[in-house]
Amino acid sequence: MDWSIPGMVALASASDAGDDSDATDTSDETDGTDESAGTATGAAGGTPLLDVADCAVSYGKVSALRGVDLTVGEGEFVAVIGPNGAGKSTLCNTVSGFRDYTGSVRYHGAEVSDQSPRDLVQQGLVHCTESRDLFGYMSVEDNLTLGAYRANTNVDERLAFVYDLFPALAERTGQLARTMSGGEQQMLAIGRALMGDPDLLVLDEPTLGLAPVILDDISEGIEQIQANGVTILLAEQNVTFALRHADRIVLLENGDVVRRGSPEELREDDYIHESYLGG
Amino acid sequence: MVDPTVSLQAAPSTVLVQILILSSLYALVALGFTLIFGVGGVLNLAHGANITIGAFVAYVVGVQQGLGGFAGLAAAFVVTGILSGVYYLGLIKRIQDEPIMVMIITLVTAVAVEEAIRFVYGSQPKVLGLLSGRINLAGSTVTYTQLFAFALSALLIGALFVFVNYSRHGKALMATSMSHKGAALVGIEADRINLVVWVAAGALAGVAGVFLATRQGASWAMGRTPLVLSFSIVVLGGIGSIRGSVLGAFVVGTLEVLTVQYVDSSLTGLTPLLVLVVVLLLRPEGLFGRELVEA
Repeated sequence: MDWSIPGMVALASASDAGDDSDATDTSDETDGTDESAGTATGAAGGTPLLDVADCAVSYGKVSALRGVDLTVGEGEFVAVIGPNGAGKSTLCNTVSGFRDYTGSVRYHGAEVSDQSPRDLVQQGLVHCTESRDLFGYMSVEDNLTLGAYRANTNVDERLAFVYDLFPALAERTGQLARTMSGGEQQMLAIGRALMGDPDLLVLDEPTLGLAPVILDDISEGIEQIQANGVTILLAEQNVTFALRHADRIVLLENGDVVRRGSPEELREDDYIHESYLGG
Repeated sequence: MVDPTVSLQAAPSTVLVQILILSSLYALVALGFTLIFGVGGVLNLAHGANITIGAFVAYVVGVQQGLGGFAGLAAAFVVTGILSGVYYLGLIKRIQDEPIMVMIITLVTAVAVEEAIRFVYGSQPKVLGLLSGRINLAGSTVTYTQLFAFALSALLIGALFVFVNYSRHGKALMATSMSHKGAALVGIEADRINLVVWVAAGALAGVAGVFLATRQGASWAMGRTPLVLSFSIVVLGGIGSIRGSVLGAFVVGTLEVLTVQYVDSSLTGLTPLLVLVVVLLLRPEGLFGRELVEA
């Protein structure tokens, strides 16, 4: 399986050069045509588990997200793709309660800004961050056990599930997290998030910096998580990876949604094809 | 702070007993400091003030009110714990993301506490006792108060060690010390953990203050040396490491006793400072070095 992201360099170069006219044009073009494909009710037919409406986030005077609309229905797998600096991680952090925002972000129908990250974790919104944020001087098992700190779940059963999903972790239960390889740490971060028995799992760049052979393991793990009915919001630069797994894709560039649709639709999209899939 | 009764010709067993007694007290002194720095990521320069307050609470309750040394000890444990928690909630919590501000505020607090105590109780040290009598231990004469201080220090340190390593909430505390973001991701509330840490650190410092006062009397400036000791011990052991702090306390305690034994008793105050400089130069991460909080 080729997990490379051939179009990313070309797109980043164009963006760095200040040529954002293409992005603006494509945004206008797409938002007018594919809006229905970006809604959970349209795709899954149920009440959205996560409903982001006109969401904006700024870092001082710099806008990181501008009027983003996004819904994720129960059991869905939605991927947010885009280059570095597009706002993917900001969106993840906003959804999981770590960022102030304007507009609306509703989880289970309740506004996220009214709740602490702890409350959200307790309600099943679990975030696996790009930086992993593991407890480096704790063992694999302690990291996993703490993942269930707020969950009303049987810890032993969850551990068995995670070890079954990532057998490499089962062989390293006593190893300190900081001494593991990048791929193993990523498995541990996902495993820790799963210990929280999530209704909505927010995965931020799980493939970042990983070797292809490790990506296969992560990919298989995500397929099993999906098969277990966990709703997933994935933020990912690796478009090939996202297209393989997601039910719906949202393309974010410079804080704006510029494309949305099913993987099949986006594979046929010339802009996506040229910019992200290597022509 | 070495017992002056240890003579230059003391037997090895006598030296060993003194090392155990002094080091366990130093570990108790340093633990609160390392807990707050390790978990909250802030330097509490008012740690010595907590020690002083503990000693004077015990003096007021035990001596002035005539309720006895143990009532004073219990009062010191409770009052310093509560005061430390209130101090965190009322002041530190608002500025804990600004380490320099915390250093300034806690330094100002330390000076204010010292001046207030000097104003109320004067400059003369107050005598504080817990138990009377002595026992011969491995050829060394030890007071019952010293023995009790050693036993209670060991018990408190052991209880803390078991709590952080084997209990769910203790592991949450250690997790918070390693990554605030990681802790938040699993639903641990860092502010609540910080409150627990400040209360525990205050209570431990209060008890340490009582034990120090039984050796040298309770005085308005008695918290200064323990603060420097805490720095040395925590840097030596590895900032944020409880195990390292205990080991660091034993290294400093041993060096101090050996300095008295084989060099010159007037140099004891220099030992922790020397250790601090040498460790910072040779092994700045400490013996059990651990990453600072990844806030």
